[in-house]
Amino acid sequence: MPKLTIDGKEIEVEAGTNLIEAAQRLGIDVPHYCYHPSLSIAGQCRLCMVDIEKTPRPTIACNTLAADGMVVHTQTDRVKETRRSMMEFHLINHPLDCPVCDQAGECWLQIYYMQHGLYEPRMTDEKVHKPKAVPLGPHVMLDAERCILCSRCVRFCDEVTGTGELGIFNRGDHSEIGLFPGQDLENNYSGNVVDICPVGALTDRDFRFQVRVWYLDTTKSICPGCARGCNIDVHVNRKRPHHAAGRRVARLKPRFNDAVNAWWMCDVGRYGFAFVDDPSRVTSAQRRDGTQLTDTSLDEAVAAVADALRRYAPDEMAILASPDQSNEDLFALKRLCEQRGIRNVAFRVPQAGTAADDDFLLRADRHPNTRGAELIGLDGDAAGILAAARGGRLKFLWIFDHDLLAGDARAAEMRQALERVEMLVWSGTNANATLALAHRVLPLAAWVERDGTFTNFQGRVQRFRAAVEPLGEARAGWDVIGRVLSASGTPFPAARAEHWFRELAKTVPDFAGLSYQGIGDVGAMVVGAAPTTAPTPPGKRAGAKVTA
Amino acid sequence: MAEIVLMRNFERPGSHTLAVYREHGGYAAWEKARQMEPAALVEEVKQSNLRGLGGAGFPTGAKWSFIPKNHTGPVYLVVNADEGEPGTFKDRYLLEKDPHALIEGMLIAARAIRSALGFVYVRGEYVQPWRRFSAAVKEAYDAGLLGQGFDIVVHRGAGAYICGEETGLLSSLEGKKGWPKIKPPFPAIKGAFSQPTIVNNVETLCCVPPIVSRGAAWFAGLGSKTQGGTRMYSVSGRVQKPGVYETSVSVTLRRLIELAGGVSHSGRLKAVVPGGGSAPILTADEIDVAMDVDGLRNAGSMIGSAGVIVFDETASIPEALMVLARFYAHESCGQCTPCRESTGWIYKMVHRIVEGHGRKDDLDTIIDVAKRGAGTTICAFYDGAVGPYISYIQKFRHEFELLCRS
Amino acid sequence: MTASAPQFSAEQLAEVRRLQGLYPDRRGALLPVLHMAQDTFGYVSLEVEEYVAGLFGLSAAHVHEVVTFYTLFFQQPKGRHVVAVCHNLSCHLAGAPEILAHVKARLGIEPGETTEDGRITFQAVECLCACEAAPMAQIDDRYELNLTREKVDQLLEALR
Repeated sequence: MPKLTIDGKEIEVEAGTNLIEAAQRLGIDVPHYCYHPSLSIAGQCRLCMVDIEKTPRPTIACNTLAADGMVVHTQTDRVKETRRSMMEFHLINHPLDCPVCDQAGECWLQIYYMQHGLYEPRMTDEKVHKPKAVPLGPHVMLDAERCILCSRCVRFCDEVTGTGELGIFNRGDHSEIGLFPGQDLENNYSGNVVDICPVGALTDRDFRFQVRVWYLDTTKSICPGCARGCNIDVHVNRKRPHHAAGRRVARLKPRFNDAVNAWWMCDVGRYGFAFVDDPSRVTSAQRRDGTQLTDTSLDEAVAAVADALRRYAPDEMAILASPDQSNEDLFALKRLCEQRGIRNVAFRVPQAGTAADDDFLLRADRHPNTRGAELIGLDGDAAGILAAARGGRLKFLWIFDHDLLAGDARAAEMRQALERVEMLVWSGTNANATLALAHRVLPLAAWVERDGTFTNFQGRVQRFRAAVEPLGEARAGWDVIGRVLSASGTPFPAARAEHWFRELAKTVPDFAGLSYQGIGDVGAMVVGAAPTTAPTPPGKRAGAKVTA
Repeated sequence: MAEIVLMRNFERPGSHTLAVYREHGGYAAWEKARQMEPAALVEEVKQSNLRGLGGAGFPTGAKWSFIPKNHTGPVYLVVNADEGEPGTFKDRYLLEKDPHALIEGMLIAARAIRSALGFVYVRGEYVQPWRRFSAAVKEAYDAGLLGQGFDIVVHRGAGAYICGEETGLLSSLEGKKGWPKIKPPFPAIKGAFSQPTIVNNVETLCCVPPIVSRGAAWFAGLGSKTQGGTRMYSVSGRVQKPGVYETSVSVTLRRLIELAGGVSHSGRLKAVVPGGGSAPILTADEIDVAMDVDGLRNAGSMIGSAGVIVFDETASIPEALMVLARFYAHESCGQCTPCRESTGWIYKMVHRIVEGHGRKDDLDTIIDVAKRGAGTTICAFYDGAVGPYISYIQKFRHEFELLCRS
Repeated sequence: MTASAPQFSAEQLAEVRRLQGLYPDRRGALLPVLHMAQDTFGYVSLEVEEYVAGLFGLSAAHVHEVVTFYTLFFQQPKGRHVVAVCHNLSCHLAGAPEILAHVKARLGIEPGETTEDGRITFQAVECLCACEAAPMAQIDDRYELNLTREKVDQLLEALR
């Protein structure tokens, strides 16, 4: 393990560590653009120069491996002057788009110019002009003038997705990032190129002109789009709501987790949060009055459900839980079932249409907590429950999230079945056709509005966190169920999700020993599950199709 | 009069054919080399003081010795026939008039570095030389000289000066844009197709058969203290008899200009570019310099590809800089930031100056920008641009200032 | 594939495979095959790029990178003849600007353009390394040396 000195501090690193990484471990930032830990070394931006003793000229840090006895200086006058020079080179043809560029505030040209540039610009000739506002597929917008040609996006499409859509065409200062004319950036990871673009060349079409980034708050969370549970940050706009047209969640960004998703998230998850602020959100409890559903108070709805649970015999009752619910929600449900003796509980409702794994992160199972629902013991006979409804043997059915009438060929039959249930209760975030049949509706808070954990398909328990307040009377599942338990005379232990998790960890053996603190920001495996690493990206597998 | 080595066959009709080449001693050196150990061949070339004649002037024997000794996979010999340095045309002559000399040089070099596969990268515009050389390769195959442990693939470029940079050439050979590779690793460790590779210039390899035939000491003695042999100087511009001239590498620039018939047009010398477009310019007072690698380096310029371009009194230095600045802007591969962005900008400034819209501080800006970029790029292309950017303005500043308004 | 999509003949495909076999990685044959494609189809259109990409298992974007990088690949139809006049240093000193102006006047087009009748594409190019015979041009596969206005007229006249 080479031992080297950087800015007077000694450090020992694994063989094969480059100087940017080595410096980072000491908390020393070496400015750079083209380097990215997941991608091959490009050595193009020339910004990461450092002084190494016994080397006559400054050297790029990204392509220099730590060697035993190496002495590195990142703050010499010569290095500082070189950085200033490199900033000038980068800005020669860069358009002064800051006032209209989404990247402002998180732009590495701005940041490094303020840190290392601060020179008077002297380029007074006409800058090179290139295409602006070019859509690259449904999610990404290209501004070729702003591009600093670091090639991260090109290398991403080659080495991560293995799809090779992007290239750098022409040469000299007419070099240009682009797609093959007529093609689209259509892989399921296109949004990631926006993350890795250091400047405003590649921006998110969904986020375009929404809100300035310095107004955003960030919360660590987990994407609920599939059973992978990619780690993410939720960026919300609370400070400038008048810019957001009612949209509180501004965007989602992947959060690095070596064991799950590395640096990436798929487009399905990234752009799948529109439902959170959609007008179809259910924000108040509802009760059926004849053929209409009218608003009621949550307390009234809770009382009605608790009453129904007392009236009916256990075998006349059933619950269709949802694998979109958190471990806490599902455990509370399990408690409720035990308390009332309900054994007809299931969550695997047959879905309309088939989803598939993609060849990287996205799982065919588009639910974040199937594994949690299995481990907590809610994997009953959904078909049997639906058969009982059709046969008129169900008096009480509480459906979480599912839309049993969605696009199914047998929707008419299902409608009849549900209409035979004396007390149909529906809980979920967004109104659907099944809700319209319910006698009581108890609204649920969306994942960005509450705390909780999901268990991914590999058995990793990961925390997601509330980033915004729930809308109206919508509440977390464990909260709603807890109120029902309370109204049924059973004190429920928790005012917070964490309390429910503690109960879960004490009760279900797979979760023994786990805690929110232990889960932290990277998650923890359930008992017996092997530790995981993020899958090898398609572009790096043997026989991958395209290389630059 | 120095001995003529490289151009010895040029005047013979049919010099490019195997029959004529063989008739005058061709492939005898190869026969001798086949009896020598690879290490002995490397040593012979080291002792000869042969230095690369494509531009960098690196000692050839030393380069050959960089191939890792314990490498078990393939080793490639790549010939840089992507001649493109302004003012240089010697390789074109060698390819057309003595292609078998190159083939023989390749055979010997391949033995020295234990290579079984050689690539000759011919610039795309050199159609006639490519045809000539390819015909010679076919003759060599038919005669059993090639295909018996060493194969040659002739590969045409497609128009890019940067493919004359050794790793830009390798990228192009691999079927990519001609983007030079970041170093380390160096080609001798990881070159073409990720294998150890030696890249040599056409003329450099043509020196190898004579070295083997007549010995390192002889070759070394033809030259200067630090560089052996003769070389072909391409002389053009304002001289009476532009052309290739072969002399000892110890020749002075003054003597070369004489050999080329002296200055034409006004007859009065103003300046000389001694080593191809990328070489810092020399004034008329600086021509008593030895035209070997170290001689010119010590004079603040470089011999490079030995392309000598002569300026007479009536030649405009600002125009010349504009022409070169345009060249560098056009040929920059665009891979790394300092070169990509500033070659275009500097051309705009020089063009503006020549058009009469320059400002005096443009001159200082050009020099400052060039100095800031020098030594920071992936390859030496930009340093080649910096040579003219700085030297033309520094040595002929008054001519530029006359064009500037303020 | 539609009838108008570019395609090599069986012999040409055999040649493509032969070329690919010469290189340790078949991608090395990309430049030779692109030359072949340009000779066959007249120029390298986007369709040709996609076709060639298919022969190499490369994305079309990466073939487009190569085609746009090198000056000898034409992405638009070119004239029956290409007249490329060098405007680099020694040719400049020998009067290249006058030669360029003369060609421009004779053909009525700027460098980079093609005559209306599709006869000639005119280019101003960088050093062709025939500086001893400046000013000079490359016309199709040939170098034409020591140009004068008169010689230019003769050469252009002969191009049909």
